[in-house]
Amino acid sequence: MPPWVGPVAGYLAEGLRETALLALVSIAAGLLAGTLVGAVLTLPSRPVRAVARTYVEIWRGLPIVIILYAIFFVLPVIGVLVDTFTAAAIGLSLWGSANVAEVVRGAVQSIPRGQAEAAAALGFSWTGRMRYVLLPQAARRALPPLIGLVVNLTQQTSLAAVIGLLDILEASQRSIERLTLSGGSSHAVPILGAVLAVFFVICLPLTMLSRWYERRLH
Amino acid sequence: MSDTSGYHFDPGFIAEHLGELGTGLLRTLAISAIGMAGALVVGVLLGAISALRVPVARQLITAYVEVFRNTPLLVQIFFLYFALPETGLRLDGFTVGWLSLLLWGGAYNAENFRAGFEAVEGGYVEACRALGFPRLAAFRHVTLPLGARIALPSVTNILISVFKNSSFMVAISYPELTETAVNIVAVTFRASEMFLAIGIVYLALVWLMSLGAGAVERRFAIPGEH
Repeated sequence: MPPWVGPVAGYLAEGLRETALLALVSIAAGLLAGTLVGAVLTLPSRPVRAVARTYVEIWRGLPIVIILYAIFFVLPVIGVLVDTFTAAAIGLSLWGSANVAEVVRGAVQSIPRGQAEAAAALGFSWTGRMRYVLLPQAARRALPPLIGLVVNLTQQTSLAAVIGLLDILEASQRSIERLTLSGGSSHAVPILGAVLAVFFVICLPLTMLSRWYERRLH
Repeated sequence: MSDTSGYHFDPGFIAEHLGELGTGLLRTLAISAIGMAGALVVGVLLGAISALRVPVARQLITAYVEVFRNTPLLVQIFFLYFALPETGLRLDGFTVGWLSLLLWGGAYNAENFRAGFEAVEGGYVEACRALGFPRLAAFRHVTLPLGARIALPSVTNILISVFKNSSFMVAISYPELTETAVNIVAVTFRASEMFLAIGIVYLALVWLMSLGAGAVERRFAIPGEH
């Protein structure tokens, strides 16, 4: 094994830890906030819905790169200092929650109206209808697209490298630069190939799970 | 820059940089347009070959689709820009820009079109074949027009994502809109105005495209469905 492989692999592994942590935090926050916003999108009150709709349209419509830059550069201007990890986690969570909200809304609205009406007739409040009748049924339909979003969010964590987080991609970039500076080859093909392989090994099983689950529903 | 006590919001600052931002926007639109058109053509072609179950080609397409869908676009861009030169193929920022968007969008659309084509009810094609149409003619006259319409919503979604993702080129310093804005912020430190301004530009274009997509979807909706 060439001597550069060991140190680079160790460096990439450290980056991967940041990537995994960022993915887990963003997925958890995105799912939690997104389910809440998605439920609000199905409320009968028009003004309340409009607020949630604006939230969803803004964070779904903006490119994630712009969201990350805006948070990283604009928050300090108003006196809030954030490190790259926090900025990336906030940005990815905002983007993720808006997309989760759309999935949740679609799934809840796909449940036949009679279910909500029957629950209302039995005296369930809105929260009760959501909690015991609509969300459990919607969850089954929402699962395949939600797994797709988890895959998407995992991949989007790589954008944190753009604002300088030392994730697996940034680690690969710094390794390539260092090898180039020390003379000789940058070994960019095997190094970036390894980064692609790591994401592929994480994402492919999830993609297959989502597809399998989707087929089972039909 | 007169205020030394702190930051104050100055929208007039954007006007001073309209020329640069306009050039950046044109580059964004250029790589997006080529990427979107290419992703559409590649998607239809590869989706058709997959749906027609052409041996070997189908497996190769599946491999392409899975690799590009299950790895981050940003890493794909880095690979094209930093790793390919190692193999002797040097691409400039513009080429990597449209090519990476085309390859990424093409993979998603190949899958979208394949699913659309395969969702066309088998009876239509059988009836067509019974009337003496060759297999390809049946595909062209029945499966293609129906399946493409079934695939349309997910296809337009990906095309809009291709436009949004053109901003990823900031990572290879290709001076499209986002990179131009970041460069201006680097020398002026006026981040709030700048990101608000280009955020509005991206949002407006995304909404415009969504409106267009909605109109196209209604125009081509299969009569009698929904």
